[in-house]
Amino acid sequence: MDSFGKRLFIALTPGKTFLDRLQGKTKIRLFFAFILILVATWDMRILFPILIISIIGLISIKPEWKTVRGLTIFTLLMNLFNLFLIWVVSPNYGYSQVGATTVLVRFTETYILSAETLWYFLVRLTKFMATFFVSLTFIQCITPSEMAAGLYGVGIPYKISTVVSLAFRYIPEIARDFNEIKISMQARGLELDSRKSSLITRLKQNVLILVPLIIVSFDRVGNIADAMDLRGYGRMKTRTYYAEHELTKGDRIINIVNVLLYAGFIAIVVVRIVSHREFLIWAPWVK
Amino acid sequence: MAKKILGNWNTRTIVGVAIGVALFGVLMVYGGVKVFTNTSLTSAYVVVAVVAALFGPVPAAITAGLGNVLADLIGGWGFWFDWSLGNLVLGFFTGLGCVLGSNVKEGVFNTKSAITYALFVLIGCGLGFGVVTPVLTYFFYSSELTITWGQVTAAIISDGLVLLVVGIPLLIALANRNKKFTGLSKD
Repeated sequence: MDSFGKRLFIALTPGKTFLDRLQGKTKIRLFFAFILILVATWDMRILFPILIISIIGLISIKPEWKTVRGLTIFTLLMNLFNLFLIWVVSPNYGYSQVGATTVLVRFTETYILSAETLWYFLVRLTKFMATFFVSLTFIQCITPSEMAAGLYGVGIPYKISTVVSLAFRYIPEIARDFNEIKISMQARGLELDSRKSSLITRLKQNVLILVPLIIVSFDRVGNIADAMDLRGYGRMKTRTYYAEHELTKGDRIINIVNVLLYAGFIAIVVVRIVSHREFLIWAPWVK
Repeated sequence: MAKKILGNWNTRTIVGVAIGVALFGVLMVYGGVKVFTNTSLTSAYVVVAVVAALFGPVPAAITAGLGNVLADLIGGWGFWFDWSLGNLVLGFFTGLGCVLGSNVKEGVFNTKSAITYALFVLIGCGLGFGVVTPVLTYFFYSSELTITWGQVTAAIISDGLVLLVVGIPLLIALANRNKKFTGLSKD
């Protein structure tokens, strides 16, 4: 949690690139279109282009490369480790997904490496990395206010939208409280270096910091709520947002793209239901 | 009763849930010790217990569900809606356990409350992580379930432990704290 401030990358001020300038509503629609398609399909012919598009999207918003690189490496390693676990548990897993076994390397009787398993791993990795890049791009190009406005714009009750934007705004506050509590604990002689204490002591220390953090945070509920009430929050049935600007040319273009993406999503689901493939994943060499 | 379950959605509840979501998300990402791949013994669930006690089942469910989505967003490891929905169920049952046996806001949390709470937490863990998450994982990702079962077991044990071992003392402390402000009589 030491690198908390540095690793946090919630945009609080709107940026200037094409994706940044879209309406909150458009960004949210675009994001969910991609996520829905990514959940629905296992077809490399769809996943790979989305991976490329998501990387282009990420580059286009000019993110902070140091953070992005760290996170990407972390996510990639985590996914590779999970794939390795799958292989350890069932070495011929590719067969159940692709429907064939082409042995490339045979370690022992059971431990084989087949082309299909590798293909499945590649598809899965593409799918998860694309999801990762899409969420990374989304979170970096939307501000909490825009997110609230956008969620309200797509039909979420505004009280829930407020929960989301308030939660985002509260995160830096938690970081500050956490650091203050940690420093005051250390001043009283608490050893917080993970290299010098065992797992159990670390858990105990976790709780020692946690309790004041929770009490401090929930003590503020009254103050924040009163301030909002005094400004007339929640009196009306509907709500307008300052952050939601008028439609721009970019919004019109992306809205058309959105319609196509949702149509594509429905098509993917329908095809998947109708075609009833025996095996989930398409591979170029398997009939 | 319906009001008790749904929670009273005034500004105070909205702010409480929002702070709960933020705390849950942050603790999920930064406040844990890894126990299994993608699963950690995280202190985040304590927040769910607090929201459950102060605001009720539906606010607790939203805290856990949205909190997990927020954790996925700031953690940057992609979205796992199967787990978010499992958390939602767990949050709801934690809230039910708080509403049915105790009244932390009025300073009531006795042995019977603790037993009711523990029972509902266990049901919530079993139903949320033992049924909802694996079913959705299979449905969304048709992923190899052997790993999911490992994660589910780890999640049930670690989150159940946090909710019970840290949760119950915290709820007792909260109840005692609130007791000081109750029992006023009119002169």
